[in-house]
Amino acid sequence: MKKLKVAILGSGNIGTDLLIKVMRSPVLECGAFIGRNLNSAGMAKAQSMGVQVSAESIRYIEKNPQCCDLVFDATSAKDHLFHAPILEGLGKIAIDLTPAKIGEMCVPAVNMQDCLNLKNINMVTCGGQASIPVAYAIGQTQGEVDYIEVVSSIASRSAGPATRINLDEYIHTTEEGVRKFSKAHRTKAILNLNPAQPCINMQTTILAKCASPNIEKLKPELNKIVKIIQRYVPGYELIVGPVLENSRIVVMVRVKGLGDYLPAYAGNLDIINCAAVAMSEEFAKLLTGGTFNMNKKATKNEVSTH
Amino acid sequence: MKSVLISDPTLRDGNHAVAHQLDREQIATYCKAVDKAGVPIVEVGHGNGIGASSLQLGESKVTDEVALTTARENLKKSKLGIHCIPGFATIKKDLQRAIDIGVDVVRVASHCTEADLTDRHISFVREKGKTVYGVLMMSHMVSPQILAEQARKMENYGAEAVIIMDSAGHYLPNDVTERVHVLLQELSIPIGFHAHNNLGVGIANSIAALEAGASILDGSARGFGAGAGNAQLEVLVAVLEKMGYSTGINLYDILDAADIAEKTLMSSVPMISSTSVVSGLAGVFSGFMKPVQRIAKEYNLDPRDVFFELGKRKIIAGQEDLIIEVAMDLAKVAK
Amino acid sequence: MDISKVTSVRKDCLEILEDHHEELSPLKGKTLVITGGTGFLGTWISEVIATLNDEYSYGTQLTLIARGTDHFKNAKKHLAERKDVHLIKSDVRNLTELPKETDWLVHAASNPDNRFHATNPIETMSAIADGTSAVLRAADRCENIKMFLNVSSGLIYGSLPLEVKAVAETYNGAPVSGSTASAYAAAKRYAETFVAAARTQAQIPCMSVRPFAFLGPYQSLETPWALNNFLHDALAGNPVRVFGDGQSVRSYLYGSDAAFWILKILTHGQSGDCYNVGSAEGVSLEQLARKIASCFDPAPEIRLKTSNTVQQVSSFVPDLSLAIKKHALEVKVSLDSALKKTIQWHQNKN
Repeated sequence: MKKLKVAILGSGNIGTDLLIKVMRSPVLECGAFIGRNLNSAGMAKAQSMGVQVSAESIRYIEKNPQCCDLVFDATSAKDHLFHAPILEGLGKIAIDLTPAKIGEMCVPAVNMQDCLNLKNINMVTCGGQASIPVAYAIGQTQGEVDYIEVVSSIASRSAGPATRINLDEYIHTTEEGVRKFSKAHRTKAILNLNPAQPCINMQTTILAKCASPNIEKLKPELNKIVKIIQRYVPGYELIVGPVLENSRIVVMVRVKGLGDYLPAYAGNLDIINCAAVAMSEEFAKLLTGGTFNMNKKATKNEVSTH
Repeated sequence: MKSVLISDPTLRDGNHAVAHQLDREQIATYCKAVDKAGVPIVEVGHGNGIGASSLQLGESKVTDEVALTTARENLKKSKLGIHCIPGFATIKKDLQRAIDIGVDVVRVASHCTEADLTDRHISFVREKGKTVYGVLMMSHMVSPQILAEQARKMENYGAEAVIIMDSAGHYLPNDVTERVHVLLQELSIPIGFHAHNNLGVGIANSIAALEAGASILDGSARGFGAGAGNAQLEVLVAVLEKMGYSTGINLYDILDAADIAEKTLMSSVPMISSTSVVSGLAGVFSGFMKPVQRIAKEYNLDPRDVFFELGKRKIIAGQEDLIIEVAMDLAKVAK
Repeated sequence: MDISKVTSVRKDCLEILEDHHEELSPLKGKTLVITGGTGFLGTWISEVIATLNDEYSYGTQLTLIARGTDHFKNAKKHLAERKDVHLIKSDVRNLTELPKETDWLVHAASNPDNRFHATNPIETMSAIADGTSAVLRAADRCENIKMFLNVSSGLIYGSLPLEVKAVAETYNGAPVSGSTASAYAAAKRYAETFVAAARTQAQIPCMSVRPFAFLGPYQSLETPWALNNFLHDALAGNPVRVFGDGQSVRSYLYGSDAAFWILKILTHGQSGDCYNVGSAEGVSLEQLARKIASCFDPAPEIRLKTSNTVQQVSSFVPDLSLAIKKHALEVKVSLDSALKKTIQWHQNKN
């Protein structure tokens, strides 16, 4: 089967982890792994996997437009603002993993189909990927939703300098995403960085206030959407709920990473990469006329979801 | 005469003790009383600071806006202070508005190992021309050297002072002395101390901090604060007066303010419960008490033993899932 | 390797672990990785781990990463062929990944040979600076890493005058900046600071130790250090030549002690700690030469000032009180006994 050619911009930890996921995909092939420093650990990893590397940044794609049809941008918001018009001009699909928010917010379990005709999609935030499907299920089943709050805890070691300096943007974007997909009147996002050793897995608690909460109605919808997420994020797990506490709906999920390039506790980084790869696989299916579909488990088999 | 800057978190830390239910009238009454007494800084808000009212931590009875506006209207001489934890409060949603309302002092806080989260918030307040302090919470969990390293980050971001919090009430006076010494050696800004009274040494620890060179102390009326409470403000003022420190606070007026606080703010005056003693001694977040009691029963263990083991392993909030592991290990040893 | 040598080293390890083996229990069932693991320190740690596994069922897995794994395979077969010892051949600068299951890490990769430092200061500095950076980056992706122990050097204090009888961790001295003679020590200082940066920014638990001089089996006598020269002369049946007046003061820690100290600090120290590791038993070079001579019968002649050059007199002895106070460590093998063991080991060669 013909594979979709993709390029990865950004050779840091996120980009390198994406690379490993792309290389494992039956429908994707990595045409170029692009960064700024050929001596970085990510570059060495890419070279060891036999992938074409370049330190020329976006220039490489301009010079070699045939290297890819889809580009993952794992650089920074500032860089993506510069990359986006160039990629658009070249007719490439851009999957943006930065907080630049140029494109439509995309959460595969919720709006995959709507995103397939777009040229630039944004993967929201890690907390957004974990909580929005749950918020969506609440919005679909509870009628009027007054308020949704999502509280994520991540291991301190999994939060690099970019995450730390962009903490406020994380909160605002997550709140916006939760509001957009749940239709709740008010939303709130909280992020805790937990320095505990051994490192904790990412956990997200979703709390909702509704006019007339109905857990029985929520359950099947929630189970359905959790199963869909688990197809592309095998380490996604419902650990509490849905339950009603003080007449508020409480759901808690845990995200264990695949441990591809990043440690398994970094479920926060894994989930956004998994979501990006799931989207690109769907684009592959569309563009190459392949038979790949989301209903097939397409990830590492040794990873347990329990 | 040596002077010391007193900051009063009664209306912030005390909010923990009443599930964040302090209302407009209570805030107004207490603010008037301490303003009259000449308390230099009065902290107001949700127990976890601005932007922290939430289902997870408890919702405030009144919004940040109402609380701060009320306090502002009733503080003539005293400065209005807030506690601000990045991750809960953002600049755009919370800090900007607080400053617009007229907050004078912003205390930007983080867990003792995460000072780099405070960079942008501290910078923002500094650029707005307001007083900004850095606050390191759960400070007993790291060595004095690492604490100093984290405090130095805050100094670099522009904090005018750094306050270390004994959030679990774990310190004895010597621990405080050692930390303040190292901090003063490594930093060139004033150091402050925020006590909790789990082991009954809230005042003694505050004095130890002062004698080691700290120059900002936190104290709450009747000790009104989370768990066993804080250093008792009116006692602290009295002790400082006896020791010859100047606080700018009138003793009689602060005693009156404390009486007012007892009458109007609290359903009960903070006391050191057995639970507080154990969590303080273990240096563990007191919120673990309920799950620990449940799990200890299940494994036929004394919950206090479980608590001390959690302390040894430096377990912190968010690691509740490890309680079972600890209980299983202890049960194994017991056999 | 001669079986009697293997036996004597095992005996040293058993002696050091007697009554103390439980102190290293955080290593039980865990994975220990040593960069530069085929050198003197790495080899001695391997011997201690092998002893713990064989005698005390520790079940510790050991991975040694080094350029010189081929030599190790030939020269130290009894270790290289063990099931619990794994070898990775790599220059640490090119290291992109550590074993994912790494629990404990000792970063000991660097060439201590001062002849190499003199000829190749660029390579000396790069191996330490870039090597430390590469290993830390890889360690950042190890989920279970409990401690990254950076093996620094006592040389980071710079040249110490005789008055400094024992140098403490807080000593405020440094190698001369900009001098090529400082290449190794300055790079080690850089590495210590880099490790601290990784600790505070990436939150990898890190410590440094500053070793002084070591002594014992597995140490090649080729490097032209005073101790080696004396041993070399005496073992060859020649007079022991002392350059200069022999008044410089040194101290030497025996290999089994060094390995135990490093492992104890690795498993009990706190992130951010830094400790001297060595022997506090200072000895002038003249005394050292006499001690060595007395191990032989007949004792070889001692020749002082065999070189005309005026040598700067210096001291290189650690103050160990911090490690002793915090970790109840002690030096078990005295200098006299260490010298005897080392000489016997070399005499066993044939």
